[in-house]
Amino acid sequence: MIDEPYNAVVRENFAHPGHAGDVPDGAVGYFEDQGISIRLSAGVTGGVLERLRFRAWGCPHVLAACEEFCRRYQGRPASDLEEFETARIMEDLAVPVEKTGRILVLEDTVRSLGQAIQDLTDTPQE
Amino acid sequence: MTFVTPIYLDYAATTPLDPSVAECMREVQATAYFNPASNHIAGRQSARIVAQAAAKLGALLNVDAARLVWTSGATESNNLAILGAAKQRAHRGRHLVTMRTEHKAVVDVFRALEKDGYEVTWLSPGADGQLDLGSFEAALREDTQLVSIMQINNETGIVQDIEAIARICRSRNILFHVDAAQAVGKVPVDVSALQVDMMSMTAHKFYGPKGIGALYVAKGTALEPQMFGGGQQKRMRPGTLPVDLIAGLGKAAAVAAQRIDDDLAALTQLKERLWSGIRSIEGVRLNGHEKGSYPGILNVSVADIEGESLLLALEPLCVATGSACNSQSQEPSYVLRALGLSDQEAQSAIRFSLGRQSSEADIDVAISAYRSAVVKLRSLAPREVA
Repeated sequence: MIDEPYNAVVRENFAHPGHAGDVPDGAVGYFEDQGISIRLSAGVTGGVLERLRFRAWGCPHVLAACEEFCRRYQGRPASDLEEFETARIMEDLAVPVEKTGRILVLEDTVRSLGQAIQDLTDTPQE
Repeated sequence: MTFVTPIYLDYAATTPLDPSVAECMREVQATAYFNPASNHIAGRQSARIVAQAAAKLGALLNVDAARLVWTSGATESNNLAILGAAKQRAHRGRHLVTMRTEHKAVVDVFRALEKDGYEVTWLSPGADGQLDLGSFEAALREDTQLVSIMQINNETGIVQDIEAIARICRSRNILFHVDAAQAVGKVPVDVSALQVDMMSMTAHKFYGPKGIGALYVAKGTALEPQMFGGGQQKRMRPGTLPVDLIAGLGKAAAVAAQRIDDDLAALTQLKERLWSGIRSIEGVRLNGHEKGSYPGILNVSVADIEGESLLLALEPLCVATGSACNSQSQEPSYVLRALGLSDQEAQSAIRFSLGRQSSEADIDVAISAYRSAVVKLRSLAPREVA
């Protein structure tokens, strides 16, 4: 049995991270831990995540997880972020158990993004 | 499924069989598969093949072929040399000296001896990777029995001054073992001139087969055997000799003797081409010497890049991150950490190791791939990091 470190989803997301970048003037969530740094930015209109982008410093699984998160959540209500957890993405990306901590950084970043969106929503418009 | 053609730049991990070695082995497998320890005409035929292979390796090293012990490779040679010498001389003293930058096949043997009550002094290299001879001499004691230092570092290509270390050891009646797995067959190694007591080597690093190596043991150097079960090789290392593998090693040694200078000249040019192509990237550093290190290895780190992602981004280049022998671990290389690199610098290190089949076209692809990978990964990083 060949111990292939990355499945097809990881390889595809790593090779073609279509959601890499920034959303200008968007809400920003940022978190770093365990040598991993993730920045998520979102453009929200009418409570919907119209654009999601990421930047990340980490291993291929981290980068692929960020791309996968953006792909899955773009177009969904921002309130869905509250229910985000990494278990499903870890399973789909076949993330080795020893990398769980790294992927949890994504979960913390998503929470940070959700809070930033909430803060923007709560800010009175002038 | 799409198959991509790999570009192999991992010759320090292993080398392909030289075609003439493969042919030699096929012939021996077909015609001389006999046990060389058998006392019949066929066995003696195999024994002659073993003797001829030993003569070829002896010629490459400029040593008496009778001083060579066949093993399964450098790891076993290192184990036999270090354990065998330390235990043989334990009654005289239990102090041993080695470097932090040795291969795991040496480091782990010394760790085992530490658990067994031996005292090991672990010398650190300077920032240039070299062993400071003054510090080395200062570490030696009355009860020091064995020193083990590698000739060429497998990660960085840094070359130690084996002749000078051997001279110091000899003057103090201390045994000196050299792990020459990355040196034999790749650079000229004149063991008689170096006057070392033991030297480990393995065939698959110089275009021979995997599973066969040798330990040179100087006359008068006594080792306690580490394996038991037969009288082969004067009981130093029992077991039926693999005649085809030994013949392959001998052939690889003969080929190396013929082309070692040409190989080195070609590798020097290729390494210079590679380094010239990537040295201008911002944040790139060479781990080792620009001059004087083994030309088949170029180890570079780059700032603000995660090593595992770099390795994947470099596909289809076959290169090593950290130590090839430690590639399952994501821990930063202990060798590079010992040179003073930060965890991030060590973790981003890539070892390009070149060999006979490496071409200028391969190098140009490697340069392009490395530059592209760095640009891509930096573009993905949060600005908070970059």
